[in-house]
Amino acid sequence: MSTITATAAAVHPTVARPAVEARPSFLGILRGEWRKLLSLRSTWWVLGATVVLITGISLAVAASVDAMAADPVTAPTLATTNGAEFVSGGFQIGMLTIAVLGALLITGEYSTGMIHSTFAAVPTRVPVLLAKAIALSVLTAAVAALSIALSYLVTMPQLAEHDLVPALDDARTWQVFGGTVYFLIAAALFSLGVGTLLRSSAGAITVALTVLLLLPGVLAFISLNWVETIARYLPLPASGAFLGGSEDSLSSGGEQLTAATGLLVIAAYALLPLLAGAVVLRRRDA
Amino acid sequence: MIEAHQLTKRYGDKTAVDDISFTIAPGSVTGFLGPNGAGKSTTMRMIMGLDRPTSGTVTVNGMAYARHRAPLREVGALLDAKAVHTGRSARSHLRTMAATHNIPAARVDEVIEMTGLATVARKRVGGFSLGMGQRLGIASAMLGDPRTLILDEPVNGLDPEGVQWVRRLVRSLADEGRTVFLSSHLMSEMAQTADQLLVIGRGRIIAAGPVQQVIDSVSAAAVRVRSPRATELAALLEADGAAVTSSAPGALELRGIDAERVGELACAHGIALHELSPRSASLEEAYMTLTQDAVEYRSDGTATAPTAPKGENR
Repeated sequence: MSTITATAAAVHPTVARPAVEARPSFLGILRGEWRKLLSLRSTWWVLGATVVLITGISLAVAASVDAMAADPVTAPTLATTNGAEFVSGGFQIGMLTIAVLGALLITGEYSTGMIHSTFAAVPTRVPVLLAKAIALSVLTAAVAALSIALSYLVTMPQLAEHDLVPALDDARTWQVFGGTVYFLIAAALFSLGVGTLLRSSAGAITVALTVLLLLPGVLAFISLNWVETIARYLPLPASGAFLGGSEDSLSSGGEQLTAATGLLVIAAYALLPLLAGAVVLRRRDA
Repeated sequence: MIEAHQLTKRYGDKTAVDDISFTIAPGSVTGFLGPNGAGKSTTMRMIMGLDRPTSGTVTVNGMAYARHRAPLREVGALLDAKAVHTGRSARSHLRTMAATHNIPAARVDEVIEMTGLATVARKRVGGFSLGMGQRLGIASAMLGDPRTLILDEPVNGLDPEGVQWVRRLVRSLADEGRTVFLSSHLMSEMAQTADQLLVIGRGRIIAAGPVQQVIDSVSAAAVRVRSPRATELAALLEADGAAVTSSAPGALELRGIDAERVGELACAHGIALHELSPRSASLEEAYMTLTQDAVEYRSDGTATAPTAPKGENR
C-alpha cells in the first residue's frame, strides 16, 4: 500500500488549526432546505411541468370561449363570468404537480435515507419541517404567479374577442389570481404534511391526490345529504367559494360556502396535517 | 466522550439493545464489535438521537446529542453510507448540511479534498459506488470538525487503499484527542484499527477493554499432542492438572498446561511424542468464542461466525 494515489493518501490531519466556524440558526436551516429543493433535478422538472400544464390548460379553456358564446345555454353564464377564471383555469392540473412536489420534499428523504443526515444536523427536527414548509411555499408562490402571468399573456388574444380580458384594476381579478396562488400553496403544504405523516412517497401522493382531486368527483355521484356536506368541505369545492366558477363547480348540489369560510377550510387543510406531522416527527424514530 | 447508562431499545417484543452501559473515552479509537444484528447500529442511532431509547440514557460530551447548540461541531457520524439523497451531487449534499450550521463553503471544499472526492463532487450520488458513498459519509462526518466521531462500518465497501486510509484517518483523529467510536463485524479489522474494544452480542456487552486484553481473556492457550501412548500420557497430564480432550485416537488437546511441561513429563516417563504443538487461539477463534452464543443468524447447523456483510445497515 505504499503507492501514492492522488486521492486519499493526501490526508492532512486537522491538527491544531482554528476551529471550523459553525453556528446553527434557523436562517441557516432555511437556506439548507432551499438549497435542497433547488439542487434536485426532479424539482425543476415538476416546476417546469406545472408552468406548462397551467398555461396550456388555460389556453385550451380560453379557446373554448368561442363555443360557449355560440351556445345559447352557456352564453348567459359567460356574461357573468370574470375573465380571470379563464386565465387561472388550469390551476387544478397545477395542484396535481405541486402536490407531488410537496410530498416528495419529505418522503424523498425517507426513501433515500437522507433523513438521517438531516436529523443529525438538526436533531430538534421541527425546525426542518418549518423550513421545508416556508421554502415550498415561496417556490410554489413564485411558480403559481409565473404560470398566471404566462396564462394571462397567452389567453389575451382569445379573451379579447369576447371582451373578457380580466381588468387589472378590478378587485375580483386579484381575488381570483390571489386565491389561485393561495390554493396552490395550501395544496403543497397539505401534501408535505401528509408526506411527513406517512413517510412513503407512494402512500402520500395517493392520499394527497385522492383528497385533492379524486374525492370531489367520486362523491358527486352520491346524493345523500351528509355526503354532500362533506363534499362541500373538500379542498377543491371549498376553493370554489373564493375562486368563483360557482355554476359549474362540483359542489353545485347545495349552497356554497362563503368566501371567508372557504379560505379557512383551505387553511385547515394546509396546516392540520403539518401540525400532526410536527408532533409525530418529534416522537418517532427516524 | 460517550456515556451510555442502562441503555435499552425494544422494537415490539424484540430487544435490540439490552440494558448496556459503557464509556467511550477521548484520545483513543474504540471498536464496537459484534455480529450482524447484535445492536451496533441501533446503539449508534440512539447516541445520535435518531432512535429514542426505550429506557436508559446516552450522552455525548456531557449531554444528550439533541441538546447541543451546534450538534455537528460535537459529533460527526457516518451511520449509513447512503444517508444521502441520490438525486443530489456530493457537493450539494455537503452544502445543504453545512448551511444548517452556517459552516463556510471553504470547509465543504476542504472535506471534499480530504476524502478524495474532488473529481466526483459534482456528480450525482446515485451513481456512486459503495466506497465513494463511504467517503462522502466520512466527509459529512468531518464537516463540523467534531470532537467525537461515530462511524458505523466505515470500511465496508472500501478498496484496500481506502481501508488503509480510514485506519490512518481514525488514528490521527484519536491522536488529536478526539473520541473515535467505530463499529465492525470483523475482528481482524478491529484488531488493526482499534485501541479499545466493546464487544456486543444479542444486545448485550460481552467484553470490554484494551484489544489485547479482550483477546487474551477468551483465548486460553491450548497444546496439541500426538503420541502412540496417548492414553497413558493423558492420565499423567490429568494428574498434573491439565484439562484433556481427545479428538482422534492418539491425539490430545490440552488446556491449562504449557508445551514445555508436557515435553518434560513425557521425557521423564519415556513416552515418545509424534507431535507437540502450542496453539494460541487466533483472533477469529477468540471472536467466535466470545460471540458463539450471540450470533443471531447462523447458517444451518454449523456455528460459523458471520464474516460477510449482509447489509444490516439500512
